Amino acid sequence: MDELREVKITVGTVKNADGSAFIEFGKNKILAAVYGPREVHPKHMALPDRCVLRCRYHMSPFSTDTRKNPAPSRREVEISKVMREALEPALMLEDYPRAAIDVYVEVLQSDGGSRCAGIAAASVALADAGINMRDLVAACAAGKVDEKIVLDINDTEDKEGGADMPVAYLPRLDQVTLLQLDGNLSPEQFNECLDKAISGCKMVYEIQKKALMQKYFGNETEMKEETQ
Amino acid sequence: MSSSKRSPIIVEHLRKQAMWDALSRGKRLDGRDFGDQRPLEIEIDVIKKANGSARVKLGDSEVIAGIKIETGEPFEGLESKGALIVTAEVLPTASPHVEPGPPDEEVVELARVVDRGVRESEMVDLDQLALVPGKIVYTIFVDCSVINADGNLFDATSYATVAAILSARLPIFEMQDSKVVDTGQTKDMPLRTIPVSITAIRIGDSVLIDPTAEEEACMDARITIDTTPEGFCAIQKGFAGSFTIDQLKKAAETARIKGEAVRAKLRELTGKNG
Amino acid sequence: MHDVQRRYVIPGDKIVEGNFRPLMNVIKAGNSLIATRIGIAETGRDGVKVIPLSGVYIPRVNDLVIGKIVDHSSLSWEVDINSCFSAHLPAQDVFGRDFSPARDDMGRHFAIGDMITARIMAFDRTRDPMLTVQDRDLGKIPRGEALKISATRVPRLIGKRGSMIQMIEQATQTRVLIGQNGIVVVTGRTPEGIKLAVRAIRMVEEEAHTANLTQRIKVLLGIPDVPPQQQDAPRDAVAGASKPEGATIDEVEEELEVEEEK
Repeated sequence: MDELREVKITVGTVKNADGSAFIEFGKNKILAAVYGPREVHPKHMALPDRCVLRCRYHMSPFSTDTRKNPAPSRREVEISKVMREALEPALMLEDYPRAAIDVYVEVLQSDGGSRCAGIAAASVALADAGINMRDLVAACAAGKVDEKIVLDINDTEDKEGGADMPVAYLPRLDQVTLLQLDGNLSPEQFNECLDKAISGCKMVYEIQKKALMQKYFGNETEMKEETQ
Repeated sequence: MSSSKRSPIIVEHLRKQAMWDALSRGKRLDGRDFGDQRPLEIEIDVIKKANGSARVKLGDSEVIAGIKIETGEPFEGLESKGALIVTAEVLPTASPHVEPGPPDEEVVELARVVDRGVRESEMVDLDQLALVPGKIVYTIFVDCSVINADGNLFDATSYATVAAILSARLPIFEMQDSKVVDTGQTKDMPLRTIPVSITAIRIGDSVLIDPTAEEEACMDARITIDTTPEGFCAIQKGFAGSFTIDQLKKAAETARIKGEAVRAKLRELTGKNG
Repeated sequence: MHDVQRRYVIPGDKIVEGNFRPLMNVIKAGNSLIATRIGIAETGRDGVKVIPLSGVYIPRVNDLVIGKIVDHSSLSWEVDINSCFSAHLPAQDVFGRDFSPARDDMGRHFAIGDMITARIMAFDRTRDPMLTVQDRDLGKIPRGEALKISATRVPRLIGKRGSMIQMIEQATQTRVLIGQNGIVVVTGRTPEGIKLAVRAIRMVEEEAHTANLTQRIKVLLGIPDVPPQQQDAPRDAVAGASKPEGATIDEVEEELEVEEEK
């Protein structure tokens, strides 16, 4: 009940991108690629004092149980937006005025909690791209199944469940940057659900950090000179 | 409307000169001969939610194909056959030059050329895929997502499509009280052959197969040739340029020889004949 | 130098607590100093900084860069400098003040696809970087093999006082032009020499932050393991003149080597 599904993150999986990450979160298989900071086209979209962040959440047609039309759905448009808003507070966009950062999240196989997994992967890809960040953005959902509050609900539980609450969280700053609720919770259940989601975010955070350390520093976690 | 345009990739003159120097010695910048393919990796069953799937890496080009099998109305004029549709999307992850949005003419051509190879080879026996002839047939969607683009998306996408079809299991649908019911059981796809696409480009007088993005940015013309063990089944000459008759005949011969090697690999990987 | 503390960090990592000044890629939150990039954090007397290991090149005035002409208008060339902004080289910089688009043929100087070495003359947050080629050794690059490395690895490739790149050049009989923006052009007597130099440069790029890199490069180049003679030959214009402000991985290595010697 307080367990996360299996989570695995690989950094740098898309050769052409400035930063990228692949996350397997339960049955979710999601790719995140970052391009930027780069020039804004068309130019009038640029902001004089900060960077433009653009986000696309998209599901491949074969990622769902029944085939998904490749054109973006209303759901994908909304998730792209909340995803951007979940990532923005972590990024020091004022460091790159007039430029743009593009974040592309592609769901290759979907399971419950794909937006949280996508945010977690996107955040790792942004760090890989060398964008200045105040913190990584961790994300995880909690919900209600059979009147019980559980962590990280999967697809089947989501469909049966009474409530689903995805959360994105900056662990070091202790700030929540995404919160949605789909379903009914009592005031007590809401508190419990939020606490549980945050505890899940903290677990995801550790996996994100480990994946980045592994990519950049291999098994050396300390610098050589200090261990000698 | 189609209009001529400039390649988004501008190859440095230094690099172009080096490429021409190499080509004049019968070599390519990455050390390959004209008839060499880049390393080809094919993995099947990568998407468990799909009825069939494959991931292909051809050099640094990477494509995932996933198959969804449903039922629907037959195509007009093909009332007693199942329907098969190949689509492609070059994801904006694939290169800095891709804009998110509906597929442009290049991507539409990509999907249609891959579709044609599968269709004209009659790889899938669509005659066996009508539930109620004229009314309800199996509909097979092969959707391809290009994750990383480094040239020759035609062959990479085609291999992903063909490997996904070879790996697919056909869900058994039945008619009960004039409604389609998924029995939850599956069977082998009705397959006849394995088509293999080989793409070559011309740069000056040199014709080379499996071009990188950089080579494509320098190309004068392109040709994609689909073969079966028996011969040719689909061809697309592309790009605003031309080939001599002699170049075409040689390219066709190369496509047969190199195609056979890829076919052997697909057979070995999937245990399917064709 | 002994009190400089180093460690590997990723964004959000707390480097140290206390009254330190945040230098580059570090923010202060309460009493903590926090890394904002993946890299090597250094805590010293002047403050705390992170030497980044990833990220695109951000132009700085006076940097020497290698760029590619990608377009031109009637007044300037557009140059791809492997950065978040395209740079502009005004036609006046090449033709002089009395440049006239009607009279002067811009195509005579640079064509689309040409590579140039240039200096960043002006860049601020309100406009795109402006280039000049009016200096010794700047302008069109006539020959050589160009490759792109991460701009964050440039200081390491140069090495302390140019030691790394000189070692590669001498062992492979090549000349290596390095732009601060991560574009590198290699010229040499033999194709084999160029190939080996490119391999060595790739190795520096991939293993920039690891210990004993110099040693492994020596093995790759087939240099016998004797103490190197310190050469103080003047560096190539592009690499030598472009020593960046502030910390570089090069200096980290320098300090590491000093410590190793003790």
